[in-house]
Amino acid sequence: MSDNPDQTAVVPEPGAGQTDTIVLEGVEKIYPGGTSPAVSQLDMTIKQGEIVMLIGPSGCGKTTTLKMINRLIEPTSGRILLDGKDVTHVNGDLLRRQIGYVIQQGGLFPHFTIADNIGVVPRMLGWDKQKTKERADELLHLVGLEPSTFRDRYPRQLSGGQQQRVGVARALAANPPVMLMDEPFGAIDPITRDRLQDEFLEIQRTVGKTIAFVTHDLQEAVKLGDKIAVFATGKLEQYADPETVLTRPANDFVSDFVGGGAAVRRLSLLELARLELHPIETDEKAVGNSNGTPVVEIDASGKPVSWRHLPGADASGVALVTVPISGTVYDAVDVMLDGAASLVAVVDDDGRAQGVLHWNDLVSGLRTRERDA
Amino acid sequence: MSTATPETINTQAQETVEEVEGKKESGLARLWQQHYDLVILPAIIILLLILLFVYIQTRDLDTIEERVLAADNVWGLLRQHLWLAFLSTVLVLIIAVPLGIVLSRRGARKAQGPVLAIGGFAQALPPFGVLLLMAFWLDFGVTTAVIGLTLAALLPVLRNTVIGLQQVDQSLIEAARGMGMSSRQTLFRVEIPLAVPVIVAGLRVALVLNVGTATLASYIGAGGLGELVQQALRLNRINVLLVAGAVIATVALLIDWLAGVVERVVVSRSG
Repeated sequence: MSDNPDQTAVVPEPGAGQTDTIVLEGVEKIYPGGTSPAVSQLDMTIKQGEIVMLIGPSGCGKTTTLKMINRLIEPTSGRILLDGKDVTHVNGDLLRRQIGYVIQQGGLFPHFTIADNIGVVPRMLGWDKQKTKERADELLHLVGLEPSTFRDRYPRQLSGGQQQRVGVARALAANPPVMLMDEPFGAIDPITRDRLQDEFLEIQRTVGKTIAFVTHDLQEAVKLGDKIAVFATGKLEQYADPETVLTRPANDFVSDFVGGGAAVRRLSLLELARLELHPIETDEKAVGNSNGTPVVEIDASGKPVSWRHLPGADASGVALVTVPISGTVYDAVDVMLDGAASLVAVVDDDGRAQGVLHWNDLVSGLRTRERDA
Repeated sequence: MSTATPETINTQAQETVEEVEGKKESGLARLWQQHYDLVILPAIIILLLILLFVYIQTRDLDTIEERVLAADNVWGLLRQHLWLAFLSTVLVLIIAVPLGIVLSRRGARKAQGPVLAIGGFAQALPPFGVLLLMAFWLDFGVTTAVIGLTLAALLPVLRNTVIGLQQVDQSLIEAARGMGMSSRQTLFRVEIPLAVPVIVAGLRVALVLNVGTATLASYIGAGGLGELVQQALRLNRINVLLVAGAVIATVALLIDWLAGVVERVVVSRSG
């Protein structure tokens, strides 16, 4: 739907054929009675299928910016383009029906059942009952809630995490190309939030929406964002991918905002699959080798169970910890700290050992990469 | 991390299925557990009415007493009474709820204070005096009585409508607008339904107020159970006075009880 024929002609490769879905041109907001603009002269482009995280201290204009995209807040000046069309002056209600909107706690209507909540926008768009019902079931399934159990319940019968899942499903109901999310996971406990974030990324992989996402949590921004937009008092200070924001902050404000711990946060951006891992042996004969390769004992299915031999250490005294290769260095550090182990076996999807990551390697490995960058 | 998710969802689903089955089995028991307190008041009323009935049966009533206490007379006055209370409450509903909705709109919020103050003033006036004065000003009869009762009971409904709409979670209104509901759709599909329990509570207060105040309507010739009291006083018959008092109290309590039941149903429906 966002395939503007002109733009696809300009960018021939379909993989890289990302069109600009959301464009803000010189957008400004001055609240009545306000002296300085809440958002001043903002230019910003969000490409199709991207998740852009709007972050900054409170009062920085991130939420105002988000709400100007669907014109819940009318910009004082400037232009907003969606899919190349100027929507600055179209009917706001009709515009908002084309844009998914998720708020904190889901914002579910307590007097509507779950299915009715999801069906709000489809009904306004004139879908028939059957189609609306099928869509609600489909979406409940997508967000991991069993439709037969949940569709006739009321929001108060659901946990916070479940409500938030329904909130996402509701925003997806009419299959809008663009989604706006206003701190959707802000009021949820850390463990559930972490799981919702994982599921959110999983869902995004299948639906591929263009998403603007307001958060105050840098961790969340780094984890979810394709790009991060750092705001300060109405101005965009830096707009780049997470790694760039963390490693090369554009100015003092951004580096202050990113603050200490940037190196640790970067760990979650480094995928284990991208690292050069040390070899690992599963063969019994390799015990006592002199080339420093650790040997692991495996069970019948090929999964490592314990260390058989560790060069320069007592193998029986070191716990075997594993991390899936689909994870990040952050996960590897996490399991090492958790298991009090100085090395971790990286395993593939079937649980087979692929290599080893040492605590020391990790430190030097990160340094090399930073020099590369 | 992500591998644990399908399992967790599965167990969640199983738990909830069990929960639902458990609810079906004990549906009646649960209903009793939640609402057994509703039985107490009617039980007390019935007991007292039986005692009163037995007492009256044991008295030797003279012909005047028998005529006044004849079912026809009492029943007719009761119907008049309920009609007065019902009409004035409906009028309150028709006037106060729309007015409250208008007052809660953005453009009219400034008028909220003054209008509520006038409502408070109207409620503070003694209804007896208002009824008498209005009767001299307008006319003696049912119409004047209904107008007087309506004025005296406007405030609780007006105030509850304004408060009910005010306390609707702002984030829900924002969610509604954010999904593309017009302000009208938001009002009728989100704000009003969520304010209904509070509005109904106000209506209950107005109804009970009207049932009580309607006793005074007999003084301006509008009939009602007040007439029974007046007859008893005029004829100096203590047994009639006893019955009149008991009937008035019973009606007020029963109406309040009924309104309470309706309120519970509304609250449980609107989540």
